[in-house]
Amino acid sequence: MRDGLVGSARRPFGGARAAEPAGFAEIDEGVLWVGVVLLLIGLVMVYSASVAFAEGSKFTGNRAHFFLVRHALSLALGFLAAYVAFRIPMATWQRFALPLFLVGVVLLVLVLIPGIGKSVNGARRWIPLGIINMQPSELMKLFALLYAADYTVRKAAVMHSFKQGFLPMAGAMIFVGWLLLREPDMGAFVVIVAIAIGVLFLGGMNARLFFGLLVLLLASFALLIAFSDYRRQRIIGFMDPWSDAFGKGYQLSHALIAFGRGEWFGVGLGASVEKLFYLPEAHTDFLLAVIAEELGLVGVLAIIFMFFWLVRRAIQIGRQALALERTFAALVAQGIALWLGVQTLINMGVNMGILPTKGLTLPLMSFGGTGILMNCVALAVLLRVDYENRRLMRGLKT
Amino acid sequence: MMISAPSPLLQLRLPLWRSRMMLAIVFIGFGALAVRAAYLQVWHNDFLQQKGESRYSRTIEISAHRGKITDRNGEILASSTPVRSIWAIPDDVDRSVEKRRELARLLDMPLAELEKKLADEDREFVYLKRQLPPEQADRVAQLRMSGIFQQREYRRYYPAGEVAAHVLGFTGIDETGQEGIELAFQAELAGHAGSRQVIKDRRGNVIEDVASVRVPRDGRDLALSIDSKIQYLAYRELKNAVETHRAKAGGIVVMDVITGEVLALANLPVFNPNNRAHLTGAQLRNRVLTDTFEPGSTMKPFTVALAMELGMVKPTSMVQTAPGKLTIGSATISDAHPHGALSVTEVIQKSSNVGTAKLALAIDRQDMWDMLNRAGFGVVPRVQFPGAVAGRLRPSKGWRPIEQATMSYGYGLSASLLQLARAYTVFGRDGDVIDATFVKAAGPAFGSQVVHPEVAYAMRQMLELAAGPGGTAPRAQTMGYRVAGKTGTAHKQEGKGYAERKYRASFVGFAPVSAPRLVVAVMIDEPSAGRYFGGDVAAPVFSTVVGGALRILGVAPDAPMRPVVLPAEGAGVEESI
Repeated sequence: MRDGLVGSARRPFGGARAAEPAGFAEIDEGVLWVGVVLLLIGLVMVYSASVAFAEGSKFTGNRAHFFLVRHALSLALGFLAAYVAFRIPMATWQRFALPLFLVGVVLLVLVLIPGIGKSVNGARRWIPLGIINMQPSELMKLFALLYAADYTVRKAAVMHSFKQGFLPMAGAMIFVGWLLLREPDMGAFVVIVAIAIGVLFLGGMNARLFFGLLVLLLASFALLIAFSDYRRQRIIGFMDPWSDAFGKGYQLSHALIAFGRGEWFGVGLGASVEKLFYLPEAHTDFLLAVIAEELGLVGVLAIIFMFFWLVRRAIQIGRQALALERTFAALVAQGIALWLGVQTLINMGVNMGILPTKGLTLPLMSFGGTGILMNCVALAVLLRVDYENRRLMRGLKT
Repeated sequence: MMISAPSPLLQLRLPLWRSRMMLAIVFIGFGALAVRAAYLQVWHNDFLQQKGESRYSRTIEISAHRGKITDRNGEILASSTPVRSIWAIPDDVDRSVEKRRELARLLDMPLAELEKKLADEDREFVYLKRQLPPEQADRVAQLRMSGIFQQREYRRYYPAGEVAAHVLGFTGIDETGQEGIELAFQAELAGHAGSRQVIKDRRGNVIEDVASVRVPRDGRDLALSIDSKIQYLAYRELKNAVETHRAKAGGIVVMDVITGEVLALANLPVFNPNNRAHLTGAQLRNRVLTDTFEPGSTMKPFTVALAMELGMVKPTSMVQTAPGKLTIGSATISDAHPHGALSVTEVIQKSSNVGTAKLALAIDRQDMWDMLNRAGFGVVPRVQFPGAVAGRLRPSKGWRPIEQATMSYGYGLSASLLQLARAYTVFGRDGDVIDATFVKAAGPAFGSQVVHPEVAYAMRQMLELAAGPGGTAPRAQTMGYRVAGKTGTAHKQEGKGYAERKYRASFVGFAPVSAPRLVVAVMIDEPSAGRYFGGDVAAPVFSTVVGGALRILGVAPDAPMRPVVLPAEGAGVEESI
């Protein structure tokens, strides 16, 4: 990142267009600053959303700054990890794609083992490491993305084939998906499967197969719901939260009330009522609801716009990489776009009651150590792709 | 904005339309979210805000003072003081042992007891201690412990303690009257809580004041007819007598003859209204109003007065009571000592059963029922006090002669002490009876006539003799005032018959005789220290109380201020039971 700040001309968003002063390596300031702004708004909102809960809960030892301190710590760790990740060339990422994927699988197995994995509210998703908990499914999002990109590049010649191109990947994903559903972590499952299939699709997978698969997936998703009370109840709650507003629809109804109270400009930073023990998970999955209440429609639209801008920029960077015949880097960049896009869409959709509730955080913003860390790394990798693009365009080595 | 400018550099190996499609889908997705957000926040928000209000908005009560109760001179008998109750959400309470130990110390309870109360972590509300004085509650608040909350309440405090316990009654923990005046005047005394609308967080803390809905209205203060000094005197003397005679119970009532005001009312056993931890039913019973008993000889004046009212006899008329026995049907009435021929005055003075019965048997039973009924027997007294009972006066149609005879001297019918006191106003006044009241009265009461004034005056003279040296209750005399009254000593009913050795001693009288001001009725239940006659057990209480009360009221003496003359021990007239 330091490289990027040296001597570069300060520009508004979208600064990375064709005509650059030659000889200077630089990073995309738009991605950098949008990312940093989202992270910092996230920090403020996590504090605002959690302060009452933290002060009133014996679990936090009644420390009002409990979540603020931890979130700031994960941000610091995230910046550090991002710096390191940015220094790693894409070639190295590609070389380690498979090993990292295997590490991810091992972690997903480990988390399921009682004594190693920690269970909270019936979901075994965390591996305690001293003061912080690691969430393997968050790591797996990046690892699966790298693996899918590497896989697509290696099998470029047979990508159109069902048997050689699709089946091995499908097998790996079914295994990973099965591990995730054992936790259970439905949200991560959806995101990872979306990333993997998306990368395959972008990498030239047979279109008919892709759409056929999409139908199949939707059907099996419907089946999953049909055969699991736990999931079905979450669905019913989302369809009409007011029919059982104090039971299954409790969380969503409070999220919607938060939106309604926000109006145009919000009730003011810190003035949310919903966060005062009414809305569960206000600082994690339902952070957007608190943002909506405190900062209003204007705040929500700004956040939506920034996320969309990031996704669009990632796709652009991917396309540039593709133009430079760097297929792996291109797929990674677009995979990151998919990751951010899918997870943000789902999280926001859940907050606004147009998608069923599942445990997914708002990327870059919600509280969650591993999640924040991996989001930072993802942005760093995206910046790395862009950085290498620029160097190549200037005839430098990556 | 969606599609970047095509560049000749972007020569594709991967299908470009796929990433375009992806971007389009993401764009549509975010667009849908933006529309949805706008719908929720600026369009559909009325509904959502109203839903929110129904969840956070609460109408909370603002407590109002319950009215004070004072005696007739403004001395406070009951008042509400602010207190606070400490409650907890066990799951949220600070875990630190030092803090918990400190809390237990402040709440005056062992740590183990506190821990026990906090043990059930599933409960959302546990009272740790109710009605703590504000200073103590402040110290608890200073601990700043999580999960510990306070609730403002009022506690009813009775400065007079057990002395006026039965008059005042008490309130429940939520300050509603449960007994006595507190119950009788609940509507007047009760404060009407106001309310205001606030926004609360889920734990119940008020975040924002929205509006005042109803202004609280304090309860009205109430001035009773009770005179604290007389009340204390009556209570002390009753207690003295009950202890001296090892009695089971006792009751006393002091009533103003002119206004009908009850100046004092006490019962034993009693309770401490400020600490009702170990109450028994016996302690709670307001015997003066709720217990009826066979009055015995205190009924005789009514029979004799009726005989005079009907013109059958004059005070000087002679009645033959020899041989001290009278057989009616299979039953025999007897006097303690045969007296021979007695004047009507002497029948009262010596309390002759035979004499009274003979008079009664000459009276038409309906006339007798009418008179007793007018005097308030068998009728619930019109008094604003809970639990007042009617006693028993059977319809005259069913009376057999023996029953009419026994009723004439107080058996076979029953009345409460208050009914007796009230009925005696007939003789203390001009033959009319007045209602008792517990509220300070504005002026004299109007009575309803029971007998002619002349009859009442005559009976007054007879009753003065009965309470004099030659009567059954010479110990009723008091220094400085002429007194009149009648003893009663009755066997207690037990099962179907009468208990051989269980008595109820009573005395009902008034003073000063020249211009009666007070009626005092005393009842001692089961005196068991040897003496049990009304004249020995109840009359001395009357004497002290009526004398003291008249002095407290500043009533001019109508008798020389010299020591009371008592007959030699054993020379008094023994009452017939």
